[in-house]
Amino acid sequence: MFKKDESFINGTVRVTLDGHPADLPEGTSVAAALLGVGELTSRRSPSSGRKCGPHCLMGVCYECLMEIDGVKRQACMTPVAEGMVINRLLAETGEDA
Amino acid sequence: MNAHHDVIVIGAGPAGMATASVLGEMGLDVLVLDEQPRPGGQIYRNIENAPESTLRLMGEDYAKGGRIAARFRASGARYESGAAVWQVDPEGFVCYSRDGASKQVRANYVVVATGAMERPVPIPGWTLPGVMGAGGVNNLAKEAGLVPEGRIVLAGSGPLLLLEATQLIRKGVNIEAILETTPRIPQISTARYMPPAALRPDFLWKGLTMLRQIKGSSVPHYKGVTELAAVGGERLARVEARNGSEKLSFDADLLLLHFGVIPATHVFSQAGCRMKWNAIQRYWHPECDQWGRTNHERLFAAGDGSFVAGAIAAQCKGELTGLEIAHCLGVIPDHERDVLAAPLRRSLRSDALPRPFVDAMYAPAPGTLKFADDTVLCRCENVTVGQVREVVRQGATDLNEVKILTRCGMGPCQGRMCGPALAEVVGQELSRGPDRVGRLSIRPPLKGVSLGEIAEMELMNMSSEPANLFKNQSK
Repeated sequence: MFKKDESFINGTVRVTLDGHPADLPEGTSVAAALLGVGELTSRRSPSSGRKCGPHCLMGVCYECLMEIDGVKRQACMTPVAEGMVINRLLAETGEDA
Repeated sequence: MNAHHDVIVIGAGPAGMATASVLGEMGLDVLVLDEQPRPGGQIYRNIENAPESTLRLMGEDYAKGGRIAARFRASGARYESGAAVWQVDPEGFVCYSRDGASKQVRANYVVVATGAMERPVPIPGWTLPGVMGAGGVNNLAKEAGLVPEGRIVLAGSGPLLLLEATQLIRKGVNIEAILETTPRIPQISTARYMPPAALRPDFLWKGLTMLRQIKGSSVPHYKGVTELAAVGGERLARVEARNGSEKLSFDADLLLLHFGVIPATHVFSQAGCRMKWNAIQRYWHPECDQWGRTNHERLFAAGDGSFVAGAIAAQCKGELTGLEIAHCLGVIPDHERDVLAAPLRRSLRSDALPRPFVDAMYAPAPGTLKFADDTVLCRCENVTVGQVREVVRQGATDLNEVKILTRCGMGPCQGRMCGPALAEVVGQELSRGPDRVGRLSIRPPLKGVSLGEIAEMELMNMSSEPANLFKNQSK
């Protein structure tokens, strides 16, 4: 879905993604980092129950709202960091946002 | 940190950086609140860390942001990144959230430089993962070096769609098709804007080069397509459209949509600024004087947030606002302000010459905005066009009535994504302009913050009156 321009390659950070350890590229937003490793789904819509992906990538649409370190945040506006706990709330009976 | 400043600037794109630079260089106490992690806004996103390859690919139009950011960093203005402003008061009070804590600060003047966003145009299937804003994907390139891979379709209208196409072609991205919804035959009104545009051959040359690059590639380029739709189950699988009598269908991994750019106006609406409708571009923008001052003495609008005119104009407008505020604060006399403003106004005039032509060429023609009943209008609350039409048929005539009845515009994005199209749909249903159906009331908090965070906030002594969150709402 996306490949990385070689001149951007930098280190990775270890995060917990939906309960599992994952290595994400550092220095970008959580949304860009997830797209960079092929994760297109950002959450499950609490109103339609359908899967969502990041859409506007500039803080407008809230489609990339996920639980980051216990708080619902826009992944496209949140820099990824070592040790972050990211929950995309993908379960079919997701709680209300 | 002191909670009172001479000036607070919201946003650090070309306009915000320019205002802050002018005022910071004069020794004033300037606080810049930026939602992003680094200065640059959308256009100059990540400019301070951009590798050589990005600078080369995006060219001088991007690279010049580096000089603007360097000037800003050296200006003495205080920069706070990751600061989400959630309330602006006409008296100069600003509330914002940063690192999970909210703060209230105040300034003599507040400059709202919140820029622009891509015009959201609902099409069938636009909620599918894999459908993204073309400008958003451009951000991914600047910020993270991400290049779309697989089968890519670009669709919509406007020069930025074609610019994105040429950049992707140069990167060797496999574009299945470019589907332009712009009518094949330009609107007649376009012709009268040709003479001023001809005074800027450099600008027109840029446009022609872009079109030639697309033509020179093997990418199928359709103009005047209708019935654009994204199709898929759990994610995008296919893009469909109609080209005259021909039905088009492309298997696709990513659909990049772009329908032009509109001002981001939530702060102005929340603060009760007087808004004006632009009938050509079909958007609301704050009514300002020549320095960007809104109807509120302490509130200024700078850059594309006040009216979309691009990065160069945004920078000039930002500097003009800075000069006027310096004058109001007694730092420079009016003749000095005017002398410094003269070259900026000349640049603005020259930059504006081709714009009416381009704007008219790609203006959203009312007839081309057709929405199907089963298309999702409000992504947050999953409200369809048909549900909105139904309540209008039952008697609703104002956007806020429709919102209460359907929940359209009530989700976390607060109507940012559905608001413009909602006005079009309700207007069409009532056979009147989208400017005559009211405007969604925008209330604080403008960004999601927890009640706990608000409760823990230290408040300044604003007044002895009881809190009234709705006092600034103009009807």
